[in-house]
Amino acid sequence: MQIKLGQNLLGANAAIAGEIRRLMEEKGILLLNLMSSPGAGKTTLLEKTLAALKDRLRLAVIEGDVATTKDAERIARLGIPVVQINTHGACHLDAAMVRDVLPAFDLDGLDLLIVENVGNLVCPAEFDLGEAMKVVVLSTTEGNDKVPKYPLMFREAGALLLNKIDLLPFTDFHLDELADDLGRIHPGLPRFDLSARTGEGMDRWSEWLLAQVEERRRR
Amino acid sequence: MALMESLVGVLASEAPRHNIAKIKKVKLTVGALTHALPDALQFAFSVLREQPLFAPGAELEIEERETRGRCRDCGVEFAVEGNFGFLCSGCGGFAVEIIQGRELQIDYFEGD
Repeated sequence: MQIKLGQNLLGANAAIAGEIRRLMEEKGILLLNLMSSPGAGKTTLLEKTLAALKDRLRLAVIEGDVATTKDAERIARLGIPVVQINTHGACHLDAAMVRDVLPAFDLDGLDLLIVENVGNLVCPAEFDLGEAMKVVVLSTTEGNDKVPKYPLMFREAGALLLNKIDLLPFTDFHLDELADDLGRIHPGLPRFDLSARTGEGMDRWSEWLLAQVEERRRR
Repeated sequence: MALMESLVGVLASEAPRHNIAKIKKVKLTVGALTHALPDALQFAFSVLREQPLFAPGAELEIEERETRGRCRDCGVEFAVEGNFGFLCSGCGGFAVEIIQGRELQIDYFEGD
């Protein structure tokens, strides 16, 4: 006997993501899904972003990692509520993992919840976590080819952070080529060139993020 | 592997509802833009089909779909080359909507 299904394989994930999205809207929280390759500098960038915003916004973080709690420990040092999810080998977070840790936070007392996804440019783009926005981090040391190789990630993103801009003179990275590629894949994508290490460009990004949170709160 | 585990999850809840004890075949449609590699899916399936839900030698058929876009400006539909050419082949516009290529769908399953 043949049973027609026509069911999306990620349908269960999408349903949970929808629940999370409704909850975040109800609580007026901006949920951000931060993604990049391993080593692009997500955690350092997150630390610096949190330090810049922690006196102005009520923040919390969900750290996704294949194993280890190293990143969560770095965030906890800033005095910001953080929950670690270990995926035990899975290359991305899914909506159920996020839903299951939400009770660890005081959702009525939050403005911005940032999920640091597992370092990987492929699978995380496919799994909706109920976020209001995906932010993708690319670093100058990774080379220009990441954009054409992983177009979905860059298409889905609400903002692109080009990190390690201080290392630009030592790499073969071309800003013109990045602009061309983004023009083809995602014209109009807000882009911030910065260095989390030196702090260059961090103000512009932090202010923009603050404006996004305020816009969400007003709605 | 995670995708195949969710496939097994869906089948484990659907099969009993249709009184199917042993699944013999599953048909999937996979879009190019998902980056789900058919060979990797087949490998993951070959491991997971050892579960009692499946009949011995259960088969996974995968239909691959190319990425296609539709221009919001001029309405032209076209194949997105190499997953990258999100530029309208008709008017050169950028406002291209993805109409095919993101599928990850279980079309049907068969069993007794």
